[in-house]
Amino acid sequence: MKTVDIIERIEGEAHLKLEWRNSVVKDARIEFLNFRGFEYMLVGKPPLDALVYTPRVCGICGQAHLLSCVNALENLYKNANIDLEVPKKAKLIRELGLAIETLDSHIKWFYLFIMPDVVSLSPNDYKEYEPIKGQKWLAATKVASDIMRGLAIFGGQWPHTSYMLPGGVMCDPTLIDLATIENYIDQGITFFEKNLSGVSISEYLMFNNVEDINKLTADLKDFKDISFEYGLNNIGKSYNRFFVIADILGFKSGRIKQINAGKINFEKIKEHDDFSFDATASKQSSKKYTWAKTVNYDEMFFETGPMARALVGGRKFIKAIHKEYDDSAYTRVMSRMDEVAYLLQRCKKIIKSIDISEPSYIQPQVKLKDIPYSKARGVVEAARGSLMHEVEIEKGKIKSYNLITPTVWNLGPGSKTKPGTAQKAIIGSKSIQEATITLRSFDVCSVCTTH
Amino acid sequence: MRIKPKVLWFQGITCNGNTHSLLCANPSRMELFLNSFDLIYHPSLTTQTNLLDIINSDEKIDFLLIEGAISDDTKFFSILNHSVKDLLSKLVSKSTYIVSVGSCASYGGIHAKFELNDDITGVQNSLGKKLTSKLKHKVINLTGCPVHPEWILQTLFIVKSQGKIQLDEEHRPVDLYSTLTHHGCTRNEYFEWKVEPEHFGTKEGCLFYNQGCRGPMTKSSCNKILWNGVNSKTRLGMPCIGCTETDFPRANMLETNKNIGIPAEVPLGISKRAYLSITGVAKTFKISRLQDKLINYDE
Repeated sequence: MKTVDIIERIEGEAHLKLEWRNSVVKDARIEFLNFRGFEYMLVGKPPLDALVYTPRVCGICGQAHLLSCVNALENLYKNANIDLEVPKKAKLIRELGLAIETLDSHIKWFYLFIMPDVVSLSPNDYKEYEPIKGQKWLAATKVASDIMRGLAIFGGQWPHTSYMLPGGVMCDPTLIDLATIENYIDQGITFFEKNLSGVSISEYLMFNNVEDINKLTADLKDFKDISFEYGLNNIGKSYNRFFVIADILGFKSGRIKQINAGKINFEKIKEHDDFSFDATASKQSSKKYTWAKTVNYDEMFFETGPMARALVGGRKFIKAIHKEYDDSAYTRVMSRMDEVAYLLQRCKKIIKSIDISEPSYIQPQVKLKDIPYSKARGVVEAARGSLMHEVEIEKGKIKSYNLITPTVWNLGPGSKTKPGTAQKAIIGSKSIQEATITLRSFDVCSVCTTH
Repeated sequence: MRIKPKVLWFQGITCNGNTHSLLCANPSRMELFLNSFDLIYHPSLTTQTNLLDIINSDEKIDFLLIEGAISDDTKFFSILNHSVKDLLSKLVSKSTYIVSVGSCASYGGIHAKFELNDDITGVQNSLGKKLTSKLKHKVINLTGCPVHPEWILQTLFIVKSQGKIQLDEEHRPVDLYSTLTHHGCTRNEYFEWKVEPEHFGTKEGCLFYNQGCRGPMTKSSCNKILWNGVNSKTRLGMPCIGCTETDFPRANMLETNKNIGIPAEVPLGISKRAYLSITGVAKTFKISRLQDKLINYDE
């Protein structure tokens, strides 16, 4: 067993252990050795405090956790048969927060996390991508920081704001606020056009066949060129099954298994811990090696994230790329960057739909802590994929809280008989470099994975 | 000090929120920081160095920045197969200035609420008096969940030029943590005249009375140095949750704890009697400008 001990530049830490036969990876383990116990922390806390705790699961996708949490808390009302009204304006503002955070995450991931590995494959000079010093690295952090100002206009700050709550949002934006947010989105569009794609966003959004990739002239062209030269379009293939948990931001929930698309039955989502440590055990059994749990649907592993959203939702350009290159590392990265264009125009649309004369919040008739008992789930599509929060309350306190994060879907340790999604993608790799790039194409966020 | 002091960013038990907060710094300030300091290692940003090589080298670190809480337990948390405390101690022995970046590094923060591991604490506490008394400068705590990027940059720039920075009893720079979150809040007039908002989601009213705002009891520069350069939580209508104070996270953070309708805690340093007298007087006036909506948009 050869070990790439530490995967550098991820959120947190992961170890990749590879078993080789005839210079090919025969088995792969992704070990997450850090556990912070958010689900344990939340037990006994007042229900609304979950809005403060859960964004702090992850410094990069706190809005997704906040929205998932608020959805779960609102469903507690529904499941206790108590009417709750949420203004349309509040729902739109929440989606805007999620969309802006996802944009920030996608841009930072491409430039700070995956491109340094991708350019290292090539002997050519890609100095501009060098972390900390390179102009492209600096330009990416600049635009990410600018876009986040848009979120702070209505979220107060980022990271770690809790401006959503059952019944609506805490802010009440003015017309100037909306115009300012749109200005920041426009800066994002300029970045997409000049730095990322090299074509206008309207032209880009018309792309619908695999040859359109050759129209790219900017940084995505660098990615494409290196990908084809080093075969990223042939590596990193997994089950080719996709899962989207939430109807949000225009994404459609559903799943694709080979060619059959279907609706989701939540009862078929099951978490397993065959290989996962037990927090309350004093001694772990020898087959346990990671804090990550694993999750499957109808006993099958699915990939979640931008590629799943593009395919389940039927975005033409990514469908064409996927048809040609399957669920390869190349398709995975292109899907995530394609979502940048999709979300930028979606943000513009959301801003235009906000009616500022509506209320931002309608006070629930009953306080959450006065509901004797209820149980509910909340789902959302986070930057890395499907996120679910499940909460149970009793006598004014949280009785249980369970998180199933996107990275559990993608990076979990698999079942006794089948490898997990990323494991399967790594098995068959011919070099450590290939295995690590494949792993990175899923975006390894250890903080979310183990929470 | 070197012309370009060496900075090492170490992560303990964290959500990486302070890293992402730093990345939200004003871009030209960020560039100035990167030109003025030599960021030799950050686990999720740099590529040329690795932590164990640095630890095993003779290289001295000018500023050791720590994000996240510390623990000596390895059952729940380890980094590079070491405990967080073990690596921290090794790094501290090579470093001149120690800066806890965020509430978790300062005193354990939210991570200390994970009770199955009862060993989670902040940098100062973990190192202990014996070690910290030998340091050239006291451990600097930059509390906040997360910390504002400017607070990091300003602290580093002050120490770089002055060699030291004055700290309060919680080891926080007095320049950043002497004022209250309340100072500079655009809702201050509503506080003066004791005008409560009807509920969440309004431009009007002070959040101290019902929504649990800790602004008048919390030391921070949140309304002085705006977040992401544009806003603050209290300005938009989210109560301050007191994340720069060592009792964060408390219970019931989004509602005011009251006794017979009166906030159980009154603004810092104000006697209850003084507070109640002023409140009683202010409440007798119904000032229509403050009772009305600020802006009435046509439907």
